Amino acid sequence: MPNDIELRRLVIKAFHMTEVSFGEENKVTIDGKMTLNNDGLDALTEKYKEVIEKIDIQIINPGDHDRYTNTIMDIIPISTKVLGKCGEGITHTITGVYVMPTGVDTAGKQAHEFGSSEGNLKDMLYLNRAGTPGDDDFIISFDITFKEGMGQERQAIIEAYRAVEEWMTTFRLQLKKFDGMKCTESHEYYDRIRKGQKKVLVIKEMIAHGAMLDTWIFPDEPSGVEGGRSLIDYGCMPIMLTPNEFRDGAIHSMN
Amino acid sequence: MGVGPSTKETSLHHFRDPLIRILGEDKGIDLMGVLIFGSPEGNEQKIRCSRTAAVVAECARPDGVIVSSDGWGNLDVDYVNCVNELGKRGIPVAGLNWSGTAGTFVVDSPYLKDVVDFNKNPEGIESNIVGENNYTDDDVRECIKRLKISMLKKERGL
Repeated sequence: MPNDIELRRLVIKAFHMTEVSFGEENKVTIDGKMTLNNDGLDALTEKYKEVIEKIDIQIINPGDHDRYTNTIMDIIPISTKVLGKCGEGITHTITGVYVMPTGVDTAGKQAHEFGSSEGNLKDMLYLNRAGTPGDDDFIISFDITFKEGMGQERQAIIEAYRAVEEWMTTFRLQLKKFDGMKCTESHEYYDRIRKGQKKVLVIKEMIAHGAMLDTWIFPDEPSGVEGGRSLIDYGCMPIMLTPNEFRDGAIHSMN
Repeated sequence: MGVGPSTKETSLHHFRDPLIRILGEDKGIDLMGVLIFGSPEGNEQKIRCSRTAAVVAECARPDGVIVSSDGWGNLDVDYVNCVNELGKRGIPVAGLNWSGTAGTFVVDSPYLKDVVDFNKNPEGIESNIVGENNYTDDDVRECIKRLKISMLKKERGL
C-alpha cells in the first residue's frame, strides 16, 4: 500500500515438532524431534524446595486426553528471541507441542483462586482455541506439587513459573541456534501507519489481583518470566504496547 | 490469566491473539497499539486505572476503541467504567466480554450496546473448561463490524 508507513518488522519463525518422547537428554532438533529427560528434575525441585515438593513431567500424545489433570495454570509456547528486542527482529517458536503447568499442594488443595480445572483432561481443556493446543498437538504436562498451602501464595506461584522457565531454557538455547531458513512456517508482522484509515486503539483489561490472578509484562524471552514484572508492580496503570510487542510474547499469564 | 478458568486467556492466547491478528490484517484500519491495564482488587483503584486508560485513549485521538477483558464478575467494574468513560468522551467504542447467563454485567452503562458476548458454553456458565469461553475469529469480526458502524455513524453525524 503506497500510503503505509512501515515502522518496524517482526518475523516469527515456527519449527514444528512431529515427535515428542522421553530420551537421554532434553533436546529439540530442527527436523521436528523433541526428547525430554527427567533426570534434572530433582535438582530443579531442590532449588525451589521452599515452595515446591515435587515436579512431574509427562508427555501427553495428541488425542490421549482421557487422563486426570490437576488444575491447569497456563498453556505456554516455547519461544525465544534470536535477533532484536521485543516487537522487532526475529523470534523462533516451537509449534506442535505446548507446555501446560498444573498445580496442587501436598494436602491435595488445587492451585487455583476462582474456579479450578482439575479433572479429566478431555473434559477440562477445550482444544483448538487461540490459547489452547490443537487436536494434533502434543502437551507437556508440567505438574507441580507445592508444599502445603503454597499453592495459594503469590510468591510461590511466581517461583513455580520461574522453575518452568528454567526447565524451558534448555530448549530455548537450542531453538535460538536453529537455521531460520529451515523453519516450517514464517510470519512477518509490521507495526505500520495506515495513513487515511480509521485509527483504532485496543484496550485490554487484564487480571492483576494477586496469587493465581496475575499478569506479567515484558519478560526477557517471549512468554517468559525473568526480566518481566507484574502489572500489580506497575500499580495496574495503563501501559502502551505496539501491536508487534504484543505479538512477540510481551504478556505472560501468571495463574 | 483471568477470573474463571473458561474465560482465562493463556500465554498462548496472547501470543496468537485473534483480535490483534485480524485488526492488523484489516486494510481499512490503522491499528495504533494495545493499551494494557491491570484489574486490581480495590474498587477505588479499579475506577482510577480504567478511567486513566480512557484518558490515554482520548489523548491519542483514536477514531474508535475496542475494549476486551480476560474475566468477569468484579472485573466488570473496571471494564464497564472504561467503556463508559470512552463513551462520555464521544469516542466510538466496541468490546469483547464474556457474559453468558452467569456473568451478565454487574454494573451498567449506556455505552455497552456494541460489546460482543463471546460466551460459548451452551448453558452460559463458567464451566471451568480452559479455553471454552475465549473469543474466536468470529467474535472479533463481529466486534470490528460493530465498531466500524459506530465510527461511520459518528463521521456522518448520525
